Amino acid sequence: MFAYKGFAGKWLYVDLTTSKIEVCSSEPHIAEAYLGGSGFGTRLLWEKVSPQTDALSPENFLIFSAGPLCGTLLPNSSRIAVIAKSPLSGVYGDSNSGGFWGPELKLAGWDAVVVVGKSPKPVYLSIQDDHAVLCDASGLWGLTTSETERAIRSEQKDAKIKVAAIGPAGENLVRFAGIQFTPQRSAARVGMGAVMGSKRLKAVAVRGHGPVRVADAKRFHQLSVSFHQRLHQNPIYEAVTRYGTPGITSIMNALGRFPTRNFQLGSFPESERIDAEALERRAFVRHLACFNCPVGCDKLFRVPDGDMAGLALRSVEYENVNALGGGIWNGDLDQLLYLNRICDEMGMDVISAGRAISFAMELWENEILNLDDTGGIPIRWGDVAITARLLVMIAKREGFGALLGEGVKRAAEKIGRGAEEFAMHVKGVEIPGQDGRAQKSMGLAHATSSRGADHLKAFPTIDETNQPDDALRRYGEAYLPEMANPLETRYKPFLIKDGEDFCAVVDAVGVCKSGGTNVFTEFYWEDIAEAVEFATGMEMPVERLKEIGERICNLQRCYNVLHGITRTDDRLPRRFLLEANPSGNARGSTIDLEPMLDEYYDLRGWERVTGYPGKEILLKLGLEDAWQRLCVFRKASESMI
Amino acid sequence: MNFCSFHHESMVWQQKARLRIDSESDDGPFQVLICWQCEDAACAAACPVEAIILDQQTGAWVVQEDICVGCGECVTACPYGAMYLDETRGVSIKCDLCQGAPECALLCPTKAISLERVI
Ligand code: SF4
Ligand code: SF4
Repeated sequence: MFAYKGFAGKWLYVDLTTSKIEVCSSEPHIAEAYLGGSGFGTRLLWEKVSPQTDALSPENFLIFSAGPLCGTLLPNSSRIAVIAKSPLSGVYGDSNSGGFWGPELKLAGWDAVVVVGKSPKPVYLSIQDDHAVLCDASGLWGLTTSETERAIRSEQKDAKIKVAAIGPAGENLVRFAGIQFTPQRSAARVGMGAVMGSKRLKAVAVRGHGPVRVADAKRFHQLSVSFHQRLHQNPIYEAVTRYGTPGITSIMNALGRFPTRNFQLGSFPESERIDAEALERRAFVRHLACFNCPVGCDKLFRVPDGDMAGLALRSVEYENVNALGGGIWNGDLDQLLYLNRICDEMGMDVISAGRAISFAMELWENEILNLDDTGGIPIRWGDVAITARLLVMIAKREGFGALLGEGVKRAAEKIGRGAEEFAMHVKGVEIPGQDGRAQKSMGLAHATSSRGADHLKAFPTIDETNQPDDALRRYGEAYLPEMANPLETRYKPFLIKDGEDFCAVVDAVGVCKSGGTNVFTEFYWEDIAEAVEFATGMEMPVERLKEIGERICNLQRCYNVLHGITRTDDRLPRRFLLEANPSGNARGSTIDLEPMLDEYYDLRGWERVTGYPGKEILLKLGLEDAWQRLCVFRKASESMI
Repeated sequence: MNFCSFHHESMVWQQKARLRIDSESDDGPFQVLICWQCEDAACAAACPVEAIILDQQTGAWVVQEDICVGCGECVTACPYGAMYLDETRGVSIKCDLCQGAPECALLCPTKAISLERVI
């Protein structure tokens, strides 16, 4: 029996090269230092996947890891983390999905599935409680994500099997291919689907019938009930359950924080045609939720009439509305849903795919691309038919699509002619639906995130709208008014450092940031510490939990440093620094990143010049091995100069 | 299902939930299979050893686990699909209204489930 409850206490190690499956026991000292989820994954990647390893080689690890709170009674406890070296950024990568797959893995009795090697032929892994087998997937290769799910369920004659599958994009190693989890949720970002495709692993199917135990049932139950009540009483509960994440579309437009035309603008003039209200009016069918979630931010949509009549899909998020709407200058909602569907079925990240298209559109506008480059396809702003065609070409790596499927950074390098100016990425990862000029903390978050441009690694939500309540509740009077003001840089380095540590813990325990922790800003350190303590039986004072978050962030950073990441990579595209955002509240603002970075490094105990973690902080966190590897690395790189 | 199993088993264990959510697709529509605490309870009538007894205070039909022989007659008899066999313990399980304060009704975020007294 594993020392701690909440955890299943064992994980699967699958070597696809040799078709060997091993059962490994979870280790208490790893759980104590990193919890599970992406914390577990970070440690494993650090130990097992060397800096020399190519992300798409058999030596990369693909880690599906549920945290100790995943599958428990706690609201929002649905998340599964996927960790691997990213083929998009070439550094630490992880991605995260809600739905039912993570809890099902726990119900089957596993904390994680770790996949290495490369199968000689397409396979899928089938897990039924204690039993795990590799099955032939030759017949599934080429299928879309939902077709794969359906085929596996009918092959195994069980409609309740939960499936994690890649589509054609993952098979074809599109660098931003994602993994689609039952029911149509995605771990979309930074190319985890391409890693899966490189291993010829089409899917992981799970069915579990067992329990998830906790240490202190009585107090855990009380806490879960109180989490329920607090979510219900939260002022934004009604709005989030009604609209889900697209609910912020109109607010973000007013703030100038809705990336439009590849970040030329901060609001989209036709946003009313694609915002949450429009979506509800046009296509709402019913509310849907993830495992054990009283928020239910997911919706089923169905287009009632017109060319797209009958098109039904779920998991239409704010990011999708942005990337496939304003991002590419598209105000046609039906078409937006169709493009969304293509990405889901092909299995690729909507954010990166949308940004790749808007990148190409801006290059076209500036005559950097012509018909010779694109294979005869004009790529004009808002052309949805061309976009649909390009998305499929990306997924299949055909013609010009093959280039876009490399991500905007690599594509810009190949195109040359100044294309880099328009490649909106950090560390090779396309920037999601926020604008650092309109919310300064978010700009810093994009720059420092360990997986490249990303909002969810620090997820600052308290300073989006200049409403002081959340900032007051979390940090107190002393930080106001600046802390709540999106255009202020003061205190924001602290907000991002604290946010990164907190989000690292959230990803390590397996709860949802669209729920209580971030979107609602309801649950914070004290709450998660209690939940972890009652669930696992580990003593968990807040300080210890904070240290775990800090440890995970520092180890991810060290891993990235070994891959050559320095301060110069914690950057934003030139556009954010020099071109003023012309829209909404953000009109006239750029972002002054460097002073924020200085302060952020100071708070982290990292060197200002290099951005390397310092000795003191690493030793304090018990990361002696990281400090030693960093020293060796530094010596080696200095002797090269 | 999670709060239900937790109430009775002190752990999330959907196989032991006393109510089930059913649907043909992941996207719904969803059907709640839940005990109606019938006036003429088919489960109780079908039970060969009279293990299912009405709790006068809560109005719930309750399985006396020490009497139940695990034959499953009640499971077949219930017209609402609201009786289940607990395979690990070998007894049948059903909703007992959480001794009078059902957690599902308390916590259902959309109020799809509620407790009403009809008699
Ligand atoms: S808030 Fe939304 S994404 Fe998060 S668990 Fe609930 S339904 Fe799923
Ligand atoms: S278990 Fe079925 S038959 Fe028995 S009281 Fe409940 S609904 Fe009626």
